[in-house]
Amino acid sequence: MFCYQCEQTFRSTEGDGCGGGKGMCGKDAATADLQDVLLHVCEGIGQYLHRARALGATDAAADRFVLYAFFTTLTNVNFDAGKFVQLIQQAAQIRDRAKALYEQAARTAGKTPEALSGAAVFAPAKDMNGLLAQAGEAAVKKDANLLGEDVVGLRSLVLYGLKGVCAYAHHAEVLGEERDAIHAAVEHALDLLASDPKEIGPLLDEALALGHANFAAMEALDAANTGAFGTPVPTKVRMTPVKGKAILVSGHDLKDLHAILEATKDKGINVYTHGEVLPAHSYPKLKAFPHLAGNYGGAWQDQQKEFAEFPGPIVMTSNCLIEPQTRYRGRLFTAGPVGWAGVRHIENGDFSQVVQAAQALPGFAADAPEESITIGFGRDAVLGVADKVIDAVRSGAIRHFFLVGGCDGAAPGRNYYTDFAEHAPQDTVVLTLGCGKYRFNRHDFGTIGGAEDGLPRLLDMGQCNDAYSAIVVASKLAEAFGVGVNELPLSLIVSWFEQKAAAVLLTLLALGVRNVRLGPTLPAFLTPALVDVLVEKFGIQPIGDAKADIEASLARAA
Amino acid sequence: MHKINLVTRDGHAIAFDAEARESLLDAAARENAFLPSACREGGCGACRVTLASGEVRLDSYSTAALSDVDRASGDILLCRAHAQGDLDLRAPFDKSAIGFAPVPQRRARIVEISAAGSGAKRLLLRLDDDPMLGSAAEFLPGQFMELSIPETAITRAYSLANAPNWDGTLEFLIRQHPQGAFSSYLADRAKIGDALALRGPQGSFTLDDASPAARWFVAGGTGVAPMLSMLRRMAELGDDHDCRLFFGVNTQEELFALDAIDALNQALPRLQATICVWKAGPRWSGFSGTPVAALSQALTASLERPDIYLCGPPALVQAATAAARAAGLAHERIFSENFSPS
Repeated sequence: MFCYQCEQTFRSTEGDGCGGGKGMCGKDAATADLQDVLLHVCEGIGQYLHRARALGATDAAADRFVLYAFFTTLTNVNFDAGKFVQLIQQAAQIRDRAKALYEQAARTAGKTPEALSGAAVFAPAKDMNGLLAQAGEAAVKKDANLLGEDVVGLRSLVLYGLKGVCAYAHHAEVLGEERDAIHAAVEHALDLLASDPKEIGPLLDEALALGHANFAAMEALDAANTGAFGTPVPTKVRMTPVKGKAILVSGHDLKDLHAILEATKDKGINVYTHGEVLPAHSYPKLKAFPHLAGNYGGAWQDQQKEFAEFPGPIVMTSNCLIEPQTRYRGRLFTAGPVGWAGVRHIENGDFSQVVQAAQALPGFAADAPEESITIGFGRDAVLGVADKVIDAVRSGAIRHFFLVGGCDGAAPGRNYYTDFAEHAPQDTVVLTLGCGKYRFNRHDFGTIGGAEDGLPRLLDMGQCNDAYSAIVVASKLAEAFGVGVNELPLSLIVSWFEQKAAAVLLTLLALGVRNVRLGPTLPAFLTPALVDVLVEKFGIQPIGDAKADIEASLARAA
Repeated sequence: MHKINLVTRDGHAIAFDAEARESLLDAAARENAFLPSACREGGCGACRVTLASGEVRLDSYSTAALSDVDRASGDILLCRAHAQGDLDLRAPFDKSAIGFAPVPQRRARIVEISAAGSGAKRLLLRLDDDPMLGSAAEFLPGQFMELSIPETAITRAYSLANAPNWDGTLEFLIRQHPQGAFSSYLADRAKIGDALALRGPQGSFTLDDASPAARWFVAGGTGVAPMLSMLRRMAELGDDHDCRLFFGVNTQEELFALDAIDALNQALPRLQATICVWKAGPRWSGFSGTPVAALSQALTASLERPDIYLCGPPALVQAATAAARAAGLAHERIFSENFSPS
């Protein structure tokens, strides 16, 4: 096994990366190796689909499979080795279909089909032992000795950014929003990876192209969520439970949440959001359900304690899942790309078992004292008061905007984000998104100017994919002020953990956003040389001391 | 005070201190780690672990619970063992089998009592709703409950035969012993609607979910109960591990649970079930002999290296373990639970 895709990867003076019997995330070596093989077969699918598309032939089902397959390999999604054996067989069949599509299209166009090599012709074994024996051909570092760590690291940046693109595109696709441009970009990236790329230039270009593709994926997901559930509005959310039977929904998937809300209508069961599902409360068609009772718990890394204490069933709809503890394993359900051996999986959107479980489990015995926060400051809400914001900036009432958000995690250094947000001066606004918000969203930030009806200083813009909203707001403000985004009084303090965040970072770089402060550590797959490139081209900075970084950000903008 | 480090089958380390005068089981419980156990008297083998390093003194125990062969391999019983120094222990059970809170006390009512072949009964209970715990039947397949005979202080441990469920249903297969206390209660006094006190779920005989190996289940008599629970759960999850069941009884009249096994054959395409009758009459067309004999034949004929799950009378468990070891299977991949008459 070798994996270094997440922020929590094993670090030591001898080298970074998880390469033993188990990763830091909990995935075992067999699962890690099988994930590599699945991605390898998907590259083969991409080789054919990329060429077929150039001849005008496409296979939407194959494209959708690739999105889903990639999603299963994100950090903290699927830990079930047996599932990957099945997915690899499916991928091989889809690759055969893609090959036939390409060859037919070529012949129709009067061309001789290319005889492809590498992933296009890799023949996966049919059983786990056979596949594990083949895993070396798909290993991340298989060419490291030949090509050096810089090329391998850049290939990894492309691969991991591609995972994030696929995950967001999958979320959009399940709600009916697809974009040809995204599928084309995914196929292009797969084909490039399958070609054993050796040059820094094309790989860097591909990384930025994926940044653009991710922007399209986030736009598609924004359209999907708002199309299905309405435009988010600022909403007060109860953060403590009420008496009664209860279901907890975690992950990112709003479609699954909606299905659960429908399945529990008028049944005397309350539904609570967890982690990245908190923003659901701001969508009109979801908050319309009176039994969407509130949010429970914090960010994903606290789930082993929070799920154990939750007195009802839990549904994990996407990342982040970590090892289910005994106390709640029997009442945990996975959905979508998520999986853990021995945990019930809901394949078909039928949550009736979850309802049964909620009725059989005790629920909350009493109302807890009420505590609330306000969320839902999507771009419509912010741009709706754009005049006030612009006036406040011109008058100096708002000196600076800090976007402090991204993934949360367990690492001790992440208290930096709490320190940063809480020490941001009173004449600054803190925008947040992703589960990084849980580092400070219970803190009272007050308003700009202090008046009760003033602009709130903390604006929760939504899930990590709502970075799209943040980008649109920044662009509109830049337009209003007649400057570029980099000249706005705006600093981005981004926390990352997994591959959706990697894709968002690539989007920021692709759009030319400079001086992003990235933490809590820099990705292990970015070698010192690659970091230098990113620092030189984009001004990427690591995090340091929160107060000093606040001062530096304000000074740079002044 | 000695330092005890126990590593579970799924790689988790549990550390606790133990004095020489207390059993390891009691020492762990003192620190709120409730390790698997049942009789706590050296008679059942539920608390068996392997001593990887260090010295213990063992109080007297039954070889039905810990055979000489297993003792020689390094196995000990936690309820009998007293640390003589720091110890490293390896457990055949996952962390999920360890309780970190005292075992739940529940109440349940009898829903059905029916015959299971000529020598056993099937008992169906439904849990009462508990304000703290709800009404779901939550347990790991392979675990057991301690049932109290009403109006007595007598308890007996029986494996759950059904899969965990939200209805609160608990199914047990109970061998009828002529002088057995619970057998007499079931035969003479038990009625639909009777309330029983239960303690559980308990037990460490559970599926190793993380293992990719095939699963071969060997059961004698009512020892098939935990296997049914495991297989039913596998069926519910659409599990696709290769699996075989070798289920044996003494005479054809004693056969039971055949409908359940048929249903599992339908639900688990990769299941091969071999029904064994030891003293088969002329009309028996299935396997004639013990499930251990069927297991030995299958191990000889197959290149598989399965995980082995064994449950039944001590003699069957020992014989099956020996057959598996003789076929080259590793000690750590053989999981067993003894059914001792009580």
